Amino acid sequence: MEQHKKQKTGLSRLFQIAGKKKGLLIISGILSSISAACMLVPFLSVYRILEELLKNAGNLSAVNRDYMIHWGWIAFLGLIGGLLILYASIIFSHVAAFRILYGIKMGLARHIGKLPLGFLNNTATGTVKKNLEQDVDRVELFVAHTIPDLVNAAATVVIMFIIFFRLNGWMALTVIIAFFLGTGLQMTMMFGKKAQGTMKAYFDSLERIHASAIQYVRGIPVVKIFGQTVHSFKRFNDDLYEYRNWAVNYCDKFENGMAVFTVVLNSFLTFILPVGLLTLSKDPGNMAFALVYLFFIIMVPGASAPLYKFTMLASGTREIFEGVSRLDAIYSQEPIKEASSPKRPRGHDIMFENVSFAYENKAETTRVEALSNISFTAKAGQITALVGPSGGGKSTVANLIPRFWDVTEGEIKIGGVNIKDIPTEELMNTVSFVFQDTFLFYDTLFENIRVGNPNATDEQVYAAARAAQCHEFIQSLPDGYNTLIGEGGVFLSGGEEQRVSVARAILKNAPILVLDEATAFADPENEYKMQIALKELIKDKTVIMIAHRLSSIKNANQIIVLENGRINQTGVHSELVEKDGLYRRMWNAYNSAYEWSLNIGGVKA
Amino acid sequence: MKIFRNITVGQPGKLIKPIGFTLLSNIVNVIPFMLSIETVRIIFDSFAYPEKGLDTVRLWIIIGTLFAYMIIMFFAEKPAYRHSYRDAYDISASGRANLAEHLRKLPLGYITSRDPGDLANMMMGDFTLVETGVSHIVPQLFGALVMPVLAFVSLLFINWQMSLAMFIALPAAIVILWLNTKVNKRMADRQMKSKLDAGNRLQEYLLGIRVMKAYNMIGEKFERLEASFRKQMKESIRFEALSGPVLLLTITLIRAGLTLMILTGSYLLIGGELDLLTFVMFLVIGSRVYDPLSSALMKFAELRYDERAGERILNLMNEPEMGGTNFPKGGTDIVFQNVSFGYGEKDVLHNVSLAMKQGTMTALVGPSGSGKSTVLKLCARFYDPGSGKVTFGGVDEASMDPERLMQKISMVFQDVYLFQDTIGNNIRFGKENASQEEVIAAARKACCYDFIMKLPKGFDTMVGEGGCTLSGGEKQRISIARAMLKNAPVILLDEATASLDPENEVEVQKAIGELIAGRTVIVIAHRLKTIKNADHIIVMDAGRVSEEGTFETLIEKSGLFKKLWTIQSQSVGWEI
Repeated sequence: MEQHKKQKTGLSRLFQIAGKKKGLLIISGILSSISAACMLVPFLSVYRILEELLKNAGNLSAVNRDYMIHWGWIAFLGLIGGLLILYASIIFSHVAAFRILYGIKMGLARHIGKLPLGFLNNTATGTVKKNLEQDVDRVELFVAHTIPDLVNAAATVVIMFIIFFRLNGWMALTVIIAFFLGTGLQMTMMFGKKAQGTMKAYFDSLERIHASAIQYVRGIPVVKIFGQTVHSFKRFNDDLYEYRNWAVNYCDKFENGMAVFTVVLNSFLTFILPVGLLTLSKDPGNMAFALVYLFFIIMVPGASAPLYKFTMLASGTREIFEGVSRLDAIYSQEPIKEASSPKRPRGHDIMFENVSFAYENKAETTRVEALSNISFTAKAGQITALVGPSGGGKSTVANLIPRFWDVTEGEIKIGGVNIKDIPTEELMNTVSFVFQDTFLFYDTLFENIRVGNPNATDEQVYAAARAAQCHEFIQSLPDGYNTLIGEGGVFLSGGEEQRVSVARAILKNAPILVLDEATAFADPENEYKMQIALKELIKDKTVIMIAHRLSSIKNANQIIVLENGRINQTGVHSELVEKDGLYRRMWNAYNSAYEWSLNIGGVKA
Repeated sequence: MKIFRNITVGQPGKLIKPIGFTLLSNIVNVIPFMLSIETVRIIFDSFAYPEKGLDTVRLWIIIGTLFAYMIIMFFAEKPAYRHSYRDAYDISASGRANLAEHLRKLPLGYITSRDPGDLANMMMGDFTLVETGVSHIVPQLFGALVMPVLAFVSLLFINWQMSLAMFIALPAAIVILWLNTKVNKRMADRQMKSKLDAGNRLQEYLLGIRVMKAYNMIGEKFERLEASFRKQMKESIRFEALSGPVLLLTITLIRAGLTLMILTGSYLLIGGELDLLTFVMFLVIGSRVYDPLSSALMKFAELRYDERAGERILNLMNEPEMGGTNFPKGGTDIVFQNVSFGYGEKDVLHNVSLAMKQGTMTALVGPSGSGKSTVLKLCARFYDPGSGKVTFGGVDEASMDPERLMQKISMVFQDVYLFQDTIGNNIRFGKENASQEEVIAAARKACCYDFIMKLPKGFDTMVGEGGCTLSGGEKQRISIARAMLKNAPVILLDEATASLDPENEVEVQKAIGELIAGRTVIVIAHRLKTIKNADHIIVMDAGRVSEEGTFETLIEKSGLFKKLWTIQSQSVGWEI
């Protein structure tokens, strides 16, 4: 498991991630440094030419023209070489970055697939997607751009200072002191008393305004319907300006610090001039020193850009840390454990033995749907129906069978084997599901059905579609089975989608079926067809069905009535309606609901 | 110019101050540079004319001036910084507010057809790009140009050949860059497409995670996800590999000016057309002038990228708002006169004429896709009809103030949106300033009171984002309570009530019964039994009215309604 190594954070974690393609990055870094060195060559050329000119200042006719031209071309070669090498460095870093990203994204997709469903249920899918993309982008930014830029800037600074120190220690030292003076002043002015707090406060405030924007946009339809757009707009507007004022105020705090920093960084020359002059004025005829002095005058202002870049890049990594730590937060979620000694189910009875279950994140929900001490057996080849008020635990029971979550206590067995001991793949092959909220892939209808059994022949797919009452409507679509679903393709009605997902399950033909009866009333024709499709699907299977319409389960072999996470009653329909209990109350309610009709003349029973 | 319009979301004037003050600060920074040239000149002088010696006094004066000048630089830097940030935040805040204002005036149909995540991202993410554009990129782009431009112009007077040599390749670089932005855009689109595609696959994967698990398609086994990630990787590398050389070429062209200048200088110097000190000056300037030029180039490339965010926002701002100033007179008759309407090119409604009378219940029935929900949406002016008109109480809806119209209509639809707020406030949304008693009364009538009181904090319980911690039936009842409080004379009802568990359903039914009593009701019915008391039933088929009448008359006709009724009677008796 990746997450059980000692978890690194921040920069070292980033380098750890980047380290996956170490070779490429090292090459990129070396190239970037060489490029930095090359890009300094033009300065050298200028220096050499100045030297030639200074030597012959008194007698211009002695100036060696070819020598100067020679150095002019060297400057050009340095430039071309520097840029070509820079290009190579960028390519290496990007290849590394995008490979790493690919690895991260696949890794996360795999990991999320192994997590309990709760992970996605607690966080809106959109947020997960957005975070994944943004956070991964930040890693890209770091690996592909920040690392080479940092290396480049660092290499430039290092090479420059090596030269500076070789030429004149005092002036070199002065530049360094000036730099630290600038940074020091900036730090003390910006991070006085409330130091780090402000940065966090800034991100918090940004997050708040984001939440407010999402709420506003999402709420617009409702707000419009209630004719309260002005009110809602005003609130959002206030939020916006509050954020602006906050941000401006925040920036104002940085103003002096930033200005001082910029000024000092732009004034390196000012600092070295007196230092050099002190030496020079002692010995005005010293041409060697005069040359060094000139060199500093030309080069020193050039040191501020890479230094500035370096500090900016270094401080900009904070945002990248954010991204990495969020990705790590996903990685650190515990996946559902695979069986250590896998067993195969012997038979298709499903048995719940004293199962208790609680959803995590209790703090976030107002109520926690849970199961306590549930025991029952769904016999092979029989229909077991789960009924009860919403929130009673029906869906939870169904979700535990495929291990979308793991039980907190007790055991669930299929064919006598604890489902935790069955390999996930095997378990999924044993059980099929028809969920209430159907999900179709952005793909052809044919592929959408074939998901049920990737090895199925075309004929088998068509047969499943026929059995699920889909064949007819699919044939009527312009591209038949090759019609694309969703974005850019065709949108099916709810009933049609449901039948396609039934066709999928028919094709899968697993011995156990968990069925969540659709609750939404499709139009009558759709509903009729759906029922034919379901009849076909449940033939000879062990069925666990969450029933909403009590009339449909009159013939179930076993009805389990759940309330507040406990089994309230069990039996068959004929027994349960006889007893004075929850089932009978529901049955009566169901019948009156069925007889209900709209009436504007007042409330009728 | 368009680029500045885009990056400021239509307020290019806002750039004047940030640019102005950055220019000022950069101009101020030119003085030290000039003094450094003067220093070099003095040193050279001392060697060219050894008899005069080194003018140390002058040099000390220069040094003193430079130190004193740092204060001026500081005061020039401050407003540049201040305006860049402040004006950027101003543009964002007022821009976001304008967008929000615009959004609320767009047709409901448009809003509901767009992904709210996209809109929110535009509101936040794109404006953040705009912010950076205004606060950093544009001012710095202009600032970086100050020194090169001043150098070019003043050097022209000193020695035009040298000055030209220095900058001669610049126009070529600009042309290449300009041509490149077009090619680049196409490549960027390709890369963007692969990125979007990968995003969509990821979303598909996450949304369908249960199916993925159930059908053993985790990770690589969902091949299209893997393929899209791989494609994105390849496209991205390709993009970087192809777009890099052009930028580097332009930088080469610009910086090659140094070599050109040295060559020219060498010849001119020997030919006696250039004196030593001028050449030295050119050399010093030449070693400094190209850094800002190439950084301006980089800024320009960044600007082209950020500009698109502004363009996206402007496009949305150009969506036509829904206008109208009339207000509903007295009546609530809703009449369709020869209405045709389509969402795209294809019409969904063909020349439909209907009348839904005040104080009656009209039911819309028909197979899915027949146009019944479109009729309901047109009643509430989600859209304006393509041709024909919809009148409300005799007034053309297209001429009405949408908000005033909405005050007359309540809608109870299947997907309920609750705000991240307390339950009480969610109900109070139906009527501003409703008293606690009114809220409670509405809750009671909508059969919510009991379950609300069971919640930990009763009416003050917070509802999660999207209202996810309540069951479907509970949310629905809250939305009914909200409508109850609103007390509008017309109710639009989509009976596609996800049927809940029977007890819940009875409650919802009771709530609806309370809500519609004595009002004008238009309902989309799925269970035909529900509407046997409707005053008027309109049967839709393929965008046209196929039959109209009361329950009894339609059953006798043995048309589409009769057929639907028969099918339904069979399926409700369904047993497994």
